[in-house]
Amino acid sequence: MTRLQFESREEFLERLRALVEGGTPPHALTVQMPYEVPEVAILLREPPDRLRFFALFGAIGGFGGGLALTLYSVIGWPIVVGGKPIVSWPPFLLIGYLLTILLGSLGAFAGFLLMARLPSPSGLSEGGAFPDRFVIVVNEEAGE
Amino acid sequence: MAEPRAGQGLEADVLSALRRPGWRYFAGLGLTALLALMLFALWGRMIWLGVGLTGKNNPVGWAMLITNFVFWVGIAHSGTLISAVLFLFRAKFRTSFNRSAEAMTVIALVVASLFPLIHLGRVWVFYFLLPYPSERLLWPNFRSPLPWDVFAINTYLIVSLVFFYVGMIPDLAIVRRHLPGLRGRIYGVLSLGWQGTSEQWRHYARLYLILAAFATPLVASVHSIVSWDFAVSIVPGWHTTIFAPYFVAGAILSGTAMVLTLTIPMRRWLGLERYVLVDHFEGIAKILLFTSLIVTYSYVVEHGLALYGHNPFEHDQYLYRAVGDYRALFAIMLVCNSLLPLTLFVRRWRRSLPWLFTLGILVNVGMWVERFVIIVASLSHDYDPYAWGTYTFSLTEAGITVGSFGLFFLLFLLFSRLLPVLSMTEVKQGLAEHREPPR
Repeated sequence: MTRLQFESREEFLERLRALVEGGTPPHALTVQMPYEVPEVAILLREPPDRLRFFALFGAIGGFGGGLALTLYSVIGWPIVVGGKPIVSWPPFLLIGYLLTILLGSLGAFAGFLLMARLPSPSGLSEGGAFPDRFVIVVNEEAGE
Repeated sequence: MAEPRAGQGLEADVLSALRRPGWRYFAGLGLTALLALMLFALWGRMIWLGVGLTGKNNPVGWAMLITNFVFWVGIAHSGTLISAVLFLFRAKFRTSFNRSAEAMTVIALVVASLFPLIHLGRVWVFYFLLPYPSERLLWPNFRSPLPWDVFAINTYLIVSLVFFYVGMIPDLAIVRRHLPGLRGRIYGVLSLGWQGTSEQWRHYARLYLILAAFATPLVASVHSIVSWDFAVSIVPGWHTTIFAPYFVAGAILSGTAMVLTLTIPMRRWLGLERYVLVDHFEGIAKILLFTSLIVTYSYVVEHGLALYGHNPFEHDQYLYRAVGDYRALFAIMLVCNSLLPLTLFVRRWRRSLPWLFTLGILVNVGMWVERFVIIVASLSHDYDPYAWGTYTFSLTEAGITVGSFGLFFLLFLLFSRLLPVLSMTEVKQGLAEHREPPR
């Protein structure tokens, strides 16, 4: 297990590129960064992010749930208020829209926790702190 | 001006705010805590003795408390604009303000959400507004705008809270690294054990983008829904289609003004001059000027519709606002919201922090008064001259209003000393990209 540390973003990227081009498989590399560097995902050939599906399912569920709630409530007790139709689409769509955003956001957040494996017990341990520099850990055993 | 420091220097600068503060901070905390206490004491008294303690009566049944609700929801808007909309537009100056603005959003929504409850009188039955399966098979009337408000404000509060928290996760992990003992462990738990691996950053960046995309339509929709509380009624002065964009522009104007009011002193007290630049304040000043022009245009359109719309009640209501019992407030509204922001066309004024701070306060005075005029003047003078009447606020309402400012500033003071006020990882990223040699 080799641990390399870099202050500079450029040096870090150069070294990571050299390691990947030198034949080190991406799964043998663990990278920690003090801020996001988008090039790393390309270098490590990370798969496309699936977080959007969590957001999409949350949003669809929210929209459907909002419509179902409003329709159920008026069909369950059909009383005319203020001369408005029993099924009043504009306000019902409004509730659907708000729940789309609410559950879409919460779905994305839940997906993030799941996929980023948070809360992380190893991150909470003494040695697992978030570093203030770029770190590359090469796991030679995994590379063989 | 000193150059911004990267890496450890930046962390030390931002986290110096978390060290033990001086007596001035505690004095501010004590004063605002007293004001907040006054709010809750007066509210308790009102619960005990009844809503007769307010000046509300026929015909003005919505008055100062609802004015405060609309005002505080409006204040919340700029936070989402700065964090989400400017993120999507890749405006670089947002990193100086986004954390404070997001905190302001959450705090303003907490304060705002108290007011419908206070106004309600019988606060213990507030849950009637929530959709829950009751034994009487009763549901909220979703065709009324009041349940729309419940959904809109709660959605906005929850999404803003998630956005605020997610943006802070890496920074909480940095705080954990700097603070020893129990405090460090608490921040570690709050950071969820964030380690900054490439996989975590990849999901984080995607989540931030998704949340920004979800929060952006809320900037337009939440205050539109609040405006429909008024616009779907038939009260002259309220029943107009321009209300939604008019309210949204006003909300962004007041929120931007509050960002200036909060961040100008905060930058000085926390020594953040090298990160929050005058150029950044100029960017915020341009947003304020732009939204002030939209608000002024809305005033012209609203009053033009009333004067030329062949509706005698609307026409009369407009004249009543301009020259009736509330004419002084109408004049204050025009001066503060439309005339004074015009000074920002001059670059020297846009870059003068004392003026921006003063203007921020004056615009918020104007925006509070605008909501008061819209709500109270319209109800005072509707269709039937027999039912006309004016409103005078009571000391209870005035005390609750002052107390709400106390609560807002108390929570913001606590935020400024308990959580990092700048997004350190974003500032680091911005500095690295800025300094990166061209390839």
